[in-house]
Amino acid sequence: MEIQKEALLKTLRGLKENGYDTLKYITAVDKNSYIEVVYLLYSTLSNNSEVVVVEVDGKKPEIDTVTEIYHSADWYERELAEMFLIRIKGRNIKRLLLEEWNGVLAPLRKDYVWGSDYKKR
Amino acid sequence: MEYLHHLERITYGARITKKDDDLMPIMRINVGPIHPSTHGVLRIVVDVDGDTIKRVEPHIGFLHRGVEKLMETRMYMQNLPYIEKLDYAAPLSWDDLYIATVEKAVGIEVKETAQYARMIMLEFQRIASHLLWLGTFVNDLGQMFTMFMWAFRERAVTMKFLEDVTGSRMFYVNLRLGGLVRELPANFKDEAYKLADYLEDKISEYPDMLEKNSIFMERTKNIGILKKDDAINYGATGPVVRASGVEYDVRKNLPYYFYNKIKFNIPVKINGDSYDRYRVRYEEMRESIKIIRQVLDIMPEENAIGLPIKLIGPPAKSEVVISERELPRGNGIVYMAPDKQKPYRIALKSPCFINLSILPILAKDIKFADLFSILGSLDVVMAEIDR
Repeated sequence: MEIQKEALLKTLRGLKENGYDTLKYITAVDKNSYIEVVYLLYSTLSNNSEVVVVEVDGKKPEIDTVTEIYHSADWYERELAEMFLIRIKGRNIKRLLLEEWNGVLAPLRKDYVWGSDYKKR
Repeated sequence: MEYLHHLERITYGARITKKDDDLMPIMRINVGPIHPSTHGVLRIVVDVDGDTIKRVEPHIGFLHRGVEKLMETRMYMQNLPYIEKLDYAAPLSWDDLYIATVEKAVGIEVKETAQYARMIMLEFQRIASHLLWLGTFVNDLGQMFTMFMWAFRERAVTMKFLEDVTGSRMFYVNLRLGGLVRELPANFKDEAYKLADYLEDKISEYPDMLEKNSIFMERTKNIGILKKDDAINYGATGPVVRASGVEYDVRKNLPYYFYNKIKFNIPVKINGDSYDRYRVRYEEMRESIKIIRQVLDIMPEENAIGLPIKLIGPPAKSEVVISERELPRGNGIVYMAPDKQKPYRIALKSPCFINLSILPILAKDIKFADLFSILGSLDVVMAEIDR
């Protein structure tokens, strides 16, 4: 389901109360003008899956942290912050994968072309 | 474009902090990046008070190749060799997960014989992967070499079988859209039956070797206990979550190929300690042998060859594809937003990634030596975590 950015925490809390107890994965897709953040949820009780899609602004991407609801979001949010430079509101993000990265380019965004910063090094 | 530079840098180097009212200072120890017990390039920063661990922080990313970005620049079938290098202990499983995603995106049905053949090879791959884990895990615990040699002896035979079928020893690149690369060898069924008998015979010797060994038992029983609720909340998958009492296996819950035709059990334990994680993996090997025998019984002998690789392949539809598989290490997911001939965005969910993120919770207030019992029992492959 596609929801507004503001409704994210409320929706996930509601889903967790309705049995969706596992957050399997968080990932994002850069669509040039906006970024889609995708949450894959699963219920171990009823064996149902749910996909929650949130659109965030491409120029100044921000999203709320969901670690209070699902602890498994911890490392996925750290990865998002690095790979897409999405600001995770409510968390002090530590680097996870790329400790030496410059922090200006977002590796998985579409405006970063593979190998384009090779000459600068 | 303005990006926010908000990421905090991690401080490097060992340092010692002193508590005022304590004789024993808290010491920070670096384990790795290159360490014989980490199975890959993993750095763990451990704060110890005496011999008791107070805080553990895994640092990953030393093997980061940017596979997801790289795959966006290649055609669908050009990506097969990349995806195999994610998990060098079970390359075929990732191969299968990726090819299933592309088959879904393109809309191709897999030939029936090929589906059965894939199931057999995947289960042999699972056994080979668990054997590699068992040998190295027991080695780490100080029961040197006997178990290691036994496990690798059986793994070598399994890999020889897969080599005869696919043509290469480690990285098979054996799957094509809708089937396999080449016909199965004429003696495929006989050899597979023989190998299943051999493996069952040899594997049944393992519990006597391990469970009557007090070193192994004391270093795994009640070490690194993960409770059921925590396992679900922290997102653990695969044998780790099944050892904590959650009956979740993609082969049963969201069945693919012909797994719903086959009778097999999901091994589930309740304590969630290192011993249970060993036990779950051991019983899974026996279940895999059961699956292989049943599949061989009902497998037809028809053409199993898939589409040949061409420069321009069949175009993909534009809908997002999500596919899941039970990899040897847990639940692997590929999320793909397809373009016509190559992925627009492909996200790879590694089961090891989330299992390693539990390490700081498991390794709290334990003795330092037990850290490797816990890390080993999580069965992480760093190439897959860093991507």
